[in-house]
Amino acid sequence: MKIVVIGGGAAGLGVAGAAKGQDPSVETVVYTEYEDVAYSPCGIPFVHGKEIESFEKLFLATKQQYVDAGVDVHYETTVESIDTRSKTIKVSGEGEVGYDRLVLATGWNYDTPDVPGTDLGGIYHVKNIREAMQWDEFMDTVKSAVVVESGPIAMEMVSALQHRGIDVTLVDPGPWPMADVIDPDIVEPVRADWERSGVHLKFGERVTAFRGTSTLTHVTTSFGDVEAQLAVIGSHKVANSALAHAAGITLGSTGGIVVDPHMRTSDPDVYAAGDCAEIPHGVSNVPLQGLSGSHAYAQGKTAGINAAGGNRVHNPVFVPWGMLAGEWMIGGVSFGETLATALGLPFVTGVADGITRARYYPGVKPIKVKLLADPGTRRLIGAQMIGGEGIKERADFLGIVARTGVTVDTLATMENVYSPAIGALNEPIAMAAQALVAKL
Amino acid sequence: MSFSRWLRSNSEHALLRDAQGRMAAKYGANPPARPHGLKDRWWRQVFAPVYRVLPWRFRRVAMQSIPGSHRRGWPKPEYLPPGQQ
Repeated sequence: MKIVVIGGGAAGLGVAGAAKGQDPSVETVVYTEYEDVAYSPCGIPFVHGKEIESFEKLFLATKQQYVDAGVDVHYETTVESIDTRSKTIKVSGEGEVGYDRLVLATGWNYDTPDVPGTDLGGIYHVKNIREAMQWDEFMDTVKSAVVVESGPIAMEMVSALQHRGIDVTLVDPGPWPMADVIDPDIVEPVRADWERSGVHLKFGERVTAFRGTSTLTHVTTSFGDVEAQLAVIGSHKVANSALAHAAGITLGSTGGIVVDPHMRTSDPDVYAAGDCAEIPHGVSNVPLQGLSGSHAYAQGKTAGINAAGGNRVHNPVFVPWGMLAGEWMIGGVSFGETLATALGLPFVTGVADGITRARYYPGVKPIKVKLLADPGTRRLIGAQMIGGEGIKERADFLGIVARTGVTVDTLATMENVYSPAIGALNEPIAMAAQALVAKL
Repeated sequence: MSFSRWLRSNSEHALLRDAQGRMAAKYGANPPARPHGLKDRWWRQVFAPVYRVLPWRFRRVAMQSIPGSHRRGWPKPEYLPPGQQ
Protein backbone atom coordinates (compact mmCIF):
# COMPACT_ATOMS: atom_id res chain seq x y z
CA MET A 1 0.00 0.00 0.00
CA LYS A 2 1.23 3.50 -0.83
CA ILE A 3 0.30 6.36 1.49
CA VAL A 4 1.01 9.84 0.20
CA VAL A 5 1.08 12.68 2.73
CA ILE A 6 0.89 16.32 1.68
CA GLY A 7 2.52 18.46 4.37
CA GLY A 8 5.54 17.94 6.61
CA GLY A 9 4.46 19.58 9.85
CA ALA A 10 3.38 17.95 13.09
CA ALA A 11 0.33 16.33 11.49
CA GLY A 12 2.14 15.10 8.38
CA LEU A 13 5.02 13.54 10.28
CA GLY A 14 2.54 12.11 12.79
CA VAL A 15 0.81 10.40 9.86
CA ALA A 16 4.06 8.99 8.45
CA GLY A 17 5.29 7.59 11.76
CA ALA A 18 1.94 6.12 12.77
CA ALA A 19 1.36 4.53 9.36
CA LYS A 20 4.76 2.81 9.56
CA GLY A 21 3.99 1.75 13.11
CA GLN A 22 0.67 0.26 12.05
CA ASP A 23 2.08 -1.56 9.03
CA PRO A 24 5.84 -1.40 8.40
CA SER A 25 5.32 -2.61 4.84
CA VAL A 26 3.44 0.51 3.70
CA GLU A 27 5.26 2.88 1.38
CA THR A 28 5.05 6.35 2.91
CA VAL A 29 5.86 9.42 0.83
CA VAL A 30 5.70 12.94 2.29
CA TYR A 31 5.63 16.07 0.13
CA THR A 32 6.55 19.40 1.65
CA GLU A 33 7.12 22.74 -0.05
CA TYR A 34 9.62 23.69 2.64
CA GLU A 35 13.31 22.89 3.09
CA ASP A 36 12.74 21.03 6.37
CA VAL A 37 10.25 18.91 8.24
CA ALA A 38 9.64 18.21 11.90
CA TYR A 39 10.74 21.33 13.64
CA SER A 40 8.93 23.31 16.26
CA PRO A 41 7.62 26.55 14.70
CA CYS A 42 6.15 27.42 18.10
CA GLY A 43 9.74 27.73 19.35
CA ILE A 44 10.70 30.43 16.83
CA PRO A 45 9.69 33.41 19.04
CA PHE A 46 11.94 32.11 21.82
CA VAL A 47 14.97 32.04 19.52
CA HIS A 48 14.17 35.59 18.41
CA GLY A 49 13.90 36.53 22.09
CA LYS A 50 17.26 34.81 22.77
CA GLU A 51 15.83 32.45 25.38
CA ILE A 52 16.86 29.62 23.01
CA GLU A 53 20.36 29.95 21.64
CA SER A 54 19.84 28.69 18.08
CA PHE A 55 17.26 27.58 15.55
CA GLU A 56 19.00 24.19 15.23
CA LYS A 57 17.65 23.37 18.72
CA LEU A 58 14.11 23.43 17.30
CA PHE A 59 14.62 20.46 14.98
CA LEU A 60 13.09 17.28 16.35
CA ALA A 61 14.89 14.86 14.03
CA THR A 62 17.46 14.86 11.25
CA LYS A 63 16.67 14.18 7.60
CA GLN A 64 18.67 10.95 7.85
CA GLN A 65 16.43 9.72 10.67
CA TYR A 66 13.44 9.84 8.31
CA VAL A 67 15.41 7.99 5.66
CA ASP A 68 16.33 5.35 8.25
CA ALA A 69 12.69 5.08 9.30
CA GLY A 70 11.66 4.39 5.73
CA VAL A 71 9.79 7.66 5.25
CA ASP A 72 10.47 9.15 1.82
CA VAL A 73 10.34 12.93 2.24
CA HIS A 74 10.33 15.11 -0.88
CA TYR A 75 11.55 18.57 0.21
CA GLU A 76 10.77 21.85 -1.56
CA THR A 77 8.19 20.08 -3.68
CA THR A 78 4.81 21.54 -4.44
CA VAL A 79 1.70 19.45 -4.96
CA GLU A 80 -0.35 21.29 -7.57
CA SER A 81 -3.56 19.31 -7.67
CA ILE A 82 -5.40 16.16 -6.60
CA ASP A 83 -7.51 13.90 -8.80
CA THR A 84 -9.53 11.70 -6.46
CA ARG A 85 -11.09 9.71 -9.34
CA SER A 86 -7.76 8.47 -10.70
CA LYS A 87 -6.20 8.55 -7.19
CA THR A 88 -3.30 10.65 -8.36
CA ILE A 89 -1.70 13.94 -7.40
CA LYS A 90 0.16 16.28 -9.74
CA VAL A 91 3.56 17.14 -8.31
CA SER A 92 5.73 19.99 -9.56
CA GLY A 93 8.78 18.51 -11.28
CA GLU A 94 7.59 14.91 -10.83
CA GLY A 95 4.35 14.76 -12.80
CA GLU A 96 1.49 12.50 -11.79
CA VAL A 97 1.99 10.35 -8.71
CA GLY A 98 -0.45 7.64 -7.69
CA TYR A 99 -1.64 6.80 -4.19
CA ASP A 100 -3.72 4.19 -2.41
CA ARG A 101 -4.45 6.51 0.50
CA LEU A 102 -3.85 10.23 0.56
CA VAL A 103 -3.51 12.27 3.76
CA LEU A 104 -3.86 16.04 3.66
CA ALA A 105 -1.78 17.77 6.31
CA THR A 106 -1.47 21.09 4.54
CA GLY A 107 -1.63 23.16 7.73
CA TRP A 108 -2.59 26.78 8.00
CA ASN A 109 -1.93 30.30 6.81
CA TYR A 110 -2.16 33.62 8.60
CA ASP A 111 -5.32 35.60 7.92
CA THR A 112 -3.26 38.52 6.65
CA PRO A 113 -5.12 41.87 6.69
CA ASP A 114 -6.43 42.81 3.25
CA VAL A 115 -4.77 46.25 3.17
CA PRO A 116 -2.29 48.00 0.82
CA GLY A 117 1.39 47.24 1.18
CA THR A 118 1.35 43.60 2.31
CA ASP A 119 3.97 42.82 -0.38
CA LEU A 120 6.57 45.16 1.14
CA GLY A 121 9.77 43.87 2.68
CA GLY A 122 9.76 43.93 6.47
CA ILE A 123 6.43 42.14 6.91
CA TYR A 124 7.06 38.94 8.80
CA HIS A 125 4.82 35.90 9.08
CA VAL A 126 6.37 33.75 11.83
CA LYS A 127 6.21 30.19 10.50
CA ASN A 128 9.09 28.93 8.34
CA ILE A 129 12.32 28.21 10.19
CA ARG A 130 14.70 29.08 7.30
CA GLU A 131 12.97 32.42 6.82
CA ALA A 132 13.07 32.92 10.60
CA MET A 133 16.86 32.58 10.51
CA GLN A 134 17.05 35.43 8.00
CA TRP A 135 14.52 37.52 9.92
CA ASP A 136 16.58 37.01 13.05
CA GLU A 137 19.56 38.72 11.40
CA PHE A 138 17.28 41.48 10.10
CA MET A 139 15.98 42.12 13.61
CA ASP A 140 19.45 43.30 14.63
CA THR A 141 18.84 46.33 12.37
CA VAL A 142 15.30 47.06 13.61
CA LYS A 143 14.57 49.90 16.02
CA SER A 144 10.79 49.77 16.09
CA ALA A 145 8.24 47.11 15.20
CA VAL A 146 4.49 46.72 15.00
CA VAL A 147 2.81 43.47 15.99
CA VAL A 148 -0.45 43.15 14.07
CA GLU A 149 -3.11 41.41 16.18
CA SER A 150 -2.42 39.37 19.28
CA GLY A 151 -2.64 35.72 18.31
CA PRO A 152 -0.66 33.24 20.44
CA ILE A 153 2.60 33.53 18.46
CA ALA A 154 2.22 37.32 18.37
CA MET A 155 1.88 37.40 22.16
CA GLU A 156 5.22 35.62 22.39
CA MET A 157 6.73 37.86 19.71
CA VAL A 158 5.88 40.97 21.74
CA SER A 159 8.10 39.67 24.55
CA ALA A 160 10.76 38.46 22.10
CA LEU A 161 11.06 41.86 20.42
CA GLN A 162 11.20 43.58 23.79
CA HIS A 163 14.00 41.28 24.90
CA ARG A 164 15.98 42.47 21.87
CA GLY A 165 15.47 46.11 22.84
CA ILE A 166 13.09 46.84 19.96
CA ASP A 167 10.38 49.45 20.52
CA VAL A 168 7.08 47.52 20.12
CA THR A 169 3.58 48.69 19.22
CA LEU A 170 0.76 46.16 19.38
CA VAL A 171 -2.22 46.98 17.16
CA ASP A 172 -5.27 44.80 17.73
CA PRO A 173 -8.93 45.31 16.74
CA GLY A 174 -9.98 43.47 19.90
CA PRO A 175 -10.38 45.26 23.23
CA TRP A 176 -7.63 43.32 25.10
CA PRO A 177 -4.97 40.72 24.23
CA MET A 178 -6.37 37.57 22.60
CA ALA A 179 -9.83 38.88 23.36
CA ASP A 180 -11.62 36.16 21.38
CA VAL A 181 -10.14 33.52 23.70
CA ILE A 182 -9.04 35.01 27.03
CA ASP A 183 -11.17 36.83 29.57
CA PRO A 184 -10.13 40.38 30.53
CA ASP A 185 -9.65 39.61 34.24
CA ILE A 186 -7.30 36.75 33.39
CA VAL A 187 -5.13 38.62 30.89
CA GLU A 188 -5.05 41.94 32.75
CA PRO A 189 -1.70 41.26 34.51
CA VAL A 190 -0.10 40.62 31.10
CA ARG A 191 -1.58 43.78 29.63
CA ALA A 192 -0.48 45.83 32.65
CA ASP A 193 3.05 44.38 32.53
CA TRP A 194 3.38 45.20 28.85
CA GLU A 195 2.17 48.75 29.47
CA ARG A 196 4.60 49.19 32.36
CA SER A 197 7.49 47.88 30.30
CA GLY A 198 6.86 50.34 27.46
CA VAL A 199 4.90 48.35 24.87
CA HIS A 200 2.58 50.77 23.03
CA LEU A 201 -0.83 49.12 23.20
CA LYS A 202 -3.43 50.06 20.61
CA PHE A 203 -6.51 47.96 21.27
CA GLY A 204 -9.71 48.56 19.33
CA GLU A 205 -7.59 49.78 16.41
CA ARG A 206 -6.76 48.19 13.08
CA VAL A 207 -3.99 48.39 10.50
CA THR A 208 -5.19 50.14 7.34
CA ALA A 209 -1.95 50.10 5.28
CA PHE A 210 1.73 49.21 5.29
CA ARG A 211 3.85 52.09 3.92
CA GLY A 212 7.30 52.24 2.36
CA THR A 213 9.03 52.15 -1.00
CA SER A 214 10.40 48.63 -1.22
CA THR A 215 10.59 47.91 2.50
CA LEU A 216 8.39 48.94 5.38
CA THR A 217 8.91 52.34 7.00
CA HIS A 218 5.49 53.07 8.54
CA VAL A 219 2.35 51.22 9.50
CA THR A 220 -0.83 53.23 9.05
CA THR A 221 -3.54 52.43 11.55
CA SER A 222 -6.95 53.82 12.41
CA PHE A 223 -5.29 56.01 15.07
CA GLY A 224 -2.41 57.29 12.92
CA ASP A 225 1.02 56.32 11.58
CA VAL A 226 3.59 54.27 13.49
CA GLU A 227 7.22 54.24 12.41
CA ALA A 228 8.32 50.63 11.99
CA GLN A 229 10.92 48.71 10.05
CA LEU A 230 9.27 45.41 10.96
CA ALA A 231 5.64 44.28 11.11
CA VAL A 232 4.92 40.89 12.65
CA ILE A 233 1.62 39.44 11.47
CA GLY A 234 -0.08 37.77 14.41
CA SER A 235 -3.57 37.26 13.05
CA HIS A 236 -5.43 34.00 13.57
CA LYS A 237 -4.86 30.78 11.66
CA VAL A 238 -6.97 29.94 8.63
CA ALA A 239 -7.02 26.46 7.15
CA ASN A 240 -4.81 25.88 4.11
CA SER A 241 -7.51 23.87 2.38
CA ALA A 242 -7.42 25.28 -1.16
CA LEU A 243 -5.96 22.08 -2.64
CA ALA A 244 -8.71 19.99 -1.01
CA HIS A 245 -11.42 22.41 -2.10
CA ALA A 246 -10.19 22.35 -5.70
CA ALA A 247 -10.35 18.53 -5.59
CA GLY A 248 -14.00 18.65 -4.54
CA ILE A 249 -13.40 17.57 -0.93
CA THR A 250 -15.98 19.00 1.46
CA LEU A 251 -15.04 21.95 3.66
CA GLY A 252 -16.89 23.04 6.79
CA SER A 253 -17.99 26.31 8.34
CA THR A 254 -14.46 27.00 9.62
CA GLY A 255 -12.97 26.67 6.14
CA GLY A 256 -11.28 23.48 7.35
CA ILE A 257 -11.68 20.05 5.78
CA VAL A 258 -14.64 18.07 7.12
CA VAL A 259 -13.51 14.79 8.68
CA ASP A 260 -15.08 11.90 10.56
CA PRO A 261 -13.58 10.47 13.78
CA HIS A 262 -11.23 8.30 11.68
CA MET A 263 -10.01 11.57 10.10
CA ARG A 264 -11.50 10.45 6.81
CA THR A 265 -12.72 13.22 4.49
CA SER A 266 -15.72 13.19 2.12
CA ASP A 267 -13.57 10.97 -0.15
CA PRO A 268 -13.11 7.51 1.42
CA ASP A 269 -9.45 7.24 0.37
CA VAL A 270 -8.47 10.72 1.49
CA TYR A 271 -7.77 11.64 5.11
CA ALA A 272 -6.97 15.01 6.67
CA ALA A 273 -5.27 16.02 9.91
CA GLY A 274 -4.01 19.09 11.72
CA ASP A 275 -4.79 22.72 11.06
CA CYS A 276 -6.28 22.10 7.61
CA ALA A 277 -9.08 20.01 9.18
CA GLU A 278 -11.91 20.89 11.57
CA ILE A 279 -12.68 18.88 14.70
CA PRO A 280 -15.80 19.06 16.89
CA HIS A 281 -15.54 20.60 20.34
CA GLY A 282 -16.31 18.22 23.19
CA VAL A 283 -18.59 20.60 25.09
CA SER A 284 -20.44 22.49 22.35
CA ASN A 285 -20.04 20.00 19.45
CA VAL A 286 -19.23 23.03 17.27
CA PRO A 287 -16.33 22.30 14.87
CA LEU A 288 -13.01 24.07 15.52
CA GLN A 289 -9.95 24.65 13.35
CA GLY A 290 -6.51 25.97 14.17
CA LEU A 291 -5.53 24.23 17.40
CA SER A 292 -2.08 23.47 18.80
CA GLY A 293 0.80 21.37 17.51
CA SER A 294 -0.07 18.59 19.96
CA HIS A 295 -3.58 18.41 18.50
CA ALA A 296 -2.17 18.29 14.97
CA TYR A 297 0.25 15.51 15.89
CA ALA A 298 -2.47 13.43 17.59
CA GLN A 299 -4.79 13.85 14.61
CA GLY A 300 -1.94 12.86 12.30
CA LYS A 301 -1.38 9.67 14.26
CA THR A 302 -5.08 8.78 14.02
CA ALA A 303 -5.10 9.46 10.28
CA GLY A 304 -1.87 7.48 9.76
CA ILE A 305 -3.08 4.42 11.66
CA ASN A 306 -6.39 4.37 9.81
CA ALA A 307 -4.86 5.07 6.40
CA ALA A 308 -2.56 2.07 6.96
CA GLY A 309 -5.48 -0.23 7.68
CA GLY A 310 -5.86 0.21 11.44
CA ASN A 311 -8.86 1.39 13.41
CA ARG A 312 -8.41 4.33 15.74
CA VAL A 313 -11.24 6.70 16.67
CA HIS A 314 -10.36 10.28 17.52
CA ASN A 315 -12.27 12.06 20.25
CA PRO A 316 -13.84 15.51 20.12
CA VAL A 317 -11.45 18.06 21.61
CA PHE A 318 -11.60 19.94 24.92
CA VAL A 319 -8.58 22.08 24.01
CA PRO A 320 -6.31 22.46 27.02
CA TRP A 321 -3.96 25.31 26.16
CA GLY A 322 -1.24 27.38 27.74
CA MET A 323 1.47 29.83 26.86
CA LEU A 324 4.04 32.24 28.16
CA ALA A 325 3.07 35.92 27.99
CA GLY A 326 5.74 38.23 29.35
CA GLU A 327 6.48 37.11 32.90
CA TRP A 328 3.23 35.20 33.15
CA MET A 329 1.88 31.83 32.16
CA ILE A 330 -1.70 31.82 30.98
CA GLY A 331 -3.85 28.90 29.97
CA GLY A 332 -7.13 27.12 30.27
CA VAL A 333 -9.43 24.55 28.79
CA SER A 334 -12.50 24.81 26.57
CA PHE A 335 -14.60 27.85 27.41
CA GLY A 336 -13.79 31.11 29.13
CA GLU A 337 -16.51 33.51 30.19
CA THR A 338 -16.22 35.56 26.99
CA LEU A 339 -16.63 32.62 24.65
CA ALA A 340 -19.39 30.99 26.73
CA THR A 341 -21.26 34.32 26.81
CA ALA A 342 -20.85 34.73 23.05
CA LEU A 343 -22.26 31.29 22.38
CA GLY A 344 -24.99 31.74 24.99
CA LEU A 345 -24.02 28.68 27.03
CA PRO A 346 -25.52 28.58 30.52
CA PHE A 347 -22.67 28.69 33.08
CA VAL A 348 -21.64 29.60 36.62
CA THR A 349 -18.11 30.68 37.56
CA GLY A 350 -15.91 30.15 40.59
CA VAL A 351 -12.66 32.07 41.03
CA ALA A 352 -9.76 31.61 43.45
CA ASP A 353 -6.44 33.38 43.96
CA GLY A 354 -3.83 30.99 45.30
CA ILE A 355 -0.13 30.26 45.36
CA THR A 356 1.98 27.64 43.61
CA ARG A 357 4.20 26.54 46.52
CA ALA A 358 4.18 26.94 50.30
CA ARG A 359 3.96 30.66 51.08
CA TYR A 360 7.38 30.63 52.76
CA TYR A 361 9.19 28.64 50.07
CA PRO A 362 11.54 30.55 47.72
CA GLY A 363 10.11 31.05 44.26
CA VAL A 364 6.46 30.89 45.33
CA LYS A 365 4.26 32.51 42.68
CA PRO A 366 0.65 33.71 42.57
CA ILE A 367 -1.92 31.82 40.54
CA LYS A 368 -5.52 32.64 39.67
CA VAL A 369 -7.99 29.95 38.62
CA LYS A 370 -11.43 30.54 37.17
CA LEU A 371 -13.72 27.57 36.57
CA LEU A 372 -16.94 27.49 34.55
CA ALA A 373 -19.59 24.82 35.11
CA ASP A 374 -22.94 23.99 33.57
CA PRO A 375 -25.46 24.72 36.37
CA GLY A 376 -27.69 21.87 35.18
CA THR A 377 -25.19 19.01 35.07
CA ARG A 378 -22.61 20.63 37.45
CA ARG A 379 -19.91 19.48 35.00
CA LEU A 380 -16.90 21.59 34.12
CA ILE A 381 -17.25 23.33 30.76
CA GLY A 382 -14.15 25.51 30.93
CA ALA A 383 -11.36 27.12 32.89
CA GLN A 384 -8.92 29.99 32.59
CA MET A 385 -5.78 30.55 34.62
CA ILE A 386 -2.90 32.92 35.02
CA GLY A 387 0.11 32.48 37.26
CA GLY A 388 3.83 32.29 37.62
CA GLU A 389 4.05 28.52 37.15
CA GLY A 390 2.01 25.31 37.10
CA ILE A 391 -0.45 26.34 34.41
CA LYS A 392 0.24 23.61 31.86
CA GLU A 393 -0.26 20.72 34.29
CA ARG A 394 -3.50 22.19 35.63
CA ALA A 395 -4.81 22.80 32.08
CA ASP A 396 -4.04 19.20 31.10
CA PHE A 397 -5.75 17.93 34.26
CA LEU A 398 -8.82 20.11 33.73
CA GLY A 399 -9.00 18.94 30.11
CA ILE A 400 -9.48 15.37 31.36
CA VAL A 401 -11.93 16.62 34.00
CA ALA A 402 -14.08 18.19 31.27
CA ARG A 403 -13.76 15.18 28.99
CA THR A 404 -14.74 12.63 31.62
CA GLY A 405 -17.56 14.69 33.11
CA VAL A 406 -16.19 15.09 36.64
CA THR A 407 -18.48 17.47 38.52
CA VAL A 408 -17.36 20.59 40.35
CA ASP A 409 -18.59 18.95 43.56
CA THR A 410 -15.88 16.32 43.13
CA LEU A 411 -13.30 18.97 42.26
CA ALA A 412 -14.24 20.95 45.38
CA THR A 413 -13.21 17.99 47.54
CA MET A 414 -10.25 16.80 45.46
CA GLU A 415 -7.09 15.59 47.14
CA ASN A 416 -3.93 17.47 46.26
CA VAL A 417 -0.19 17.17 46.62
CA TYR A 418 1.23 19.26 49.44
CA SER A 419 4.97 19.65 49.49
CA PRO A 420 6.40 23.11 50.27
CA ALA A 421 8.73 23.24 47.26
CA ILE A 422 6.18 22.18 44.65
CA GLY A 423 2.66 22.69 45.98
CA ALA A 424 0.69 24.75 48.48
CA LEU A 425 -1.61 23.40 51.17
CA ASN A 426 -4.68 24.70 49.35
CA GLU A 427 -4.98 23.72 45.69
CA PRO A 428 -6.35 26.73 43.73
CA ILE A 429 -8.49 24.46 41.53
CA ALA A 430 -10.23 23.08 44.62
CA MET A 431 -10.66 26.60 46.02
CA ALA A 432 -12.23 27.82 42.75
CA ALA A 433 -14.50 24.76 42.67
CA GLN A 434 -15.60 25.45 46.26
CA ALA A 435 -16.44 29.04 45.30
CA LEU A 436 -18.38 27.76 42.31
CA VAL A 437 -20.32 25.14 44.28
CA ALA A 438 -21.32 27.82 46.79
CA LYS A 439 -23.11 29.64 43.94
CA LEU A 440 -25.03 26.60 42.65
CA MET B 1 -16.73 31.45 0.54
CA SER B 2 -19.54 29.02 1.34
CA PHE B 3 -22.74 30.26 2.98
CA SER B 4 -22.02 28.35 6.20
CA ARG B 5 -18.55 29.87 6.45
CA TRP B 6 -19.88 33.36 5.74
CA LEU B 7 -22.62 32.91 8.35
CA ARG B 8 -20.25 31.56 10.97
CA SER B 9 -17.59 34.19 10.37
CA ASN B 10 -20.03 37.10 10.67
CA SER B 11 -22.09 35.72 13.54
CA GLU B 12 -18.99 34.68 15.50
CA HIS B 13 -17.50 38.15 15.15
CA ALA B 14 -20.72 39.87 16.22
CA LEU B 15 -21.38 37.57 19.17
CA LEU B 16 -17.79 37.83 20.40
CA ARG B 17 -17.85 41.64 20.27
CA ASP B 18 -21.17 41.60 22.14
CA ALA B 19 -19.74 39.25 24.77
CA GLN B 20 -16.57 41.34 25.04
CA GLY B 21 -18.74 44.39 25.74
CA ARG B 22 -20.42 42.51 28.58
CA MET B 23 -17.10 41.29 29.96
CA ALA B 24 -15.65 44.81 29.72
CA ALA B 25 -18.58 46.16 31.75
CA LYS B 26 -18.25 43.37 34.33
CA TYR B 27 -14.49 43.67 34.82
CA GLY B 28 -13.94 47.35 34.08
CA ALA B 29 -11.90 46.56 30.98
CA ASN B 30 -11.51 48.40 27.69
CA PRO B 31 -14.75 47.93 25.67
CA PRO B 32 -14.66 46.75 22.04
CA ALA B 33 -14.61 49.37 19.29
CA ARG B 34 -17.97 50.57 18.04
CA PRO B 35 -19.42 48.94 14.91
CA HIS B 36 -18.08 50.31 11.62
CA GLY B 37 -20.44 50.49 8.64
CA LEU B 38 -23.90 49.20 7.94
CA LYS B 39 -22.92 45.53 7.74
CA ASP B 40 -21.12 45.55 11.08
CA ARG B 41 -24.01 47.42 12.68
CA TRP B 42 -26.54 44.92 11.40
CA TRP B 43 -24.63 41.95 12.77
CA ARG B 44 -23.80 43.56 16.11
CA GLN B 45 -26.90 45.65 16.78
CA VAL B 46 -29.59 43.43 15.25
CA PHE B 47 -28.31 39.86 14.95
CA ALA B 48 -26.48 39.63 18.31
CA PRO B 49 -29.38 40.91 20.48
CA VAL B 50 -31.87 38.68 18.64
CA TYR B 51 -29.58 35.65 19.10
CA ARG B 52 -29.32 36.36 22.80
CA VAL B 53 -33.08 36.29 23.39
CA LEU B 54 -33.56 32.99 21.57
CA PRO B 55 -33.97 29.98 23.88
CA TRP B 56 -30.73 27.97 24.36
CA ARG B 57 -32.36 24.87 22.86
CA PHE B 58 -33.12 26.74 19.65
CA ARG B 59 -29.62 28.20 19.46
CA ARG B 60 -28.14 24.75 19.99
CA VAL B 61 -30.25 23.21 17.22
CA ALA B 62 -29.24 26.04 14.87
CA MET B 63 -25.52 25.53 15.62
CA GLN B 64 -25.75 21.78 15.17
CA SER B 65 -27.57 22.10 11.85
CA ILE B 66 -24.65 23.86 10.18
CA PRO B 67 -22.74 21.39 7.95
CA GLY B 68 -19.35 20.27 9.23
CA SER B 69 -17.24 17.60 10.92
CA HIS B 70 -19.58 17.46 13.94
CA ARG B 71 -22.18 15.75 11.76
CA ARG B 72 -19.89 12.90 10.71
CA GLY B 73 -20.51 10.42 13.54
CA TRP B 74 -18.10 11.63 16.23
CA PRO B 75 -18.25 9.89 19.64
CA LYS B 76 -20.58 11.36 22.22
CA PRO B 77 -19.04 12.37 25.58
CA GLU B 78 -17.67 9.31 27.30
CA TYR B 79 -19.38 10.12 30.62
CA LEU B 80 -22.81 9.52 29.09
CA PRO B 81 -24.38 6.10 29.83
CA PRO B 82 -23.86 3.59 26.99
CA GLY B 83 -27.50 3.89 25.94
CA GLN B 84 -27.14 7.62 25.27
CA GLN B 85 -23.90 7.40 23.29
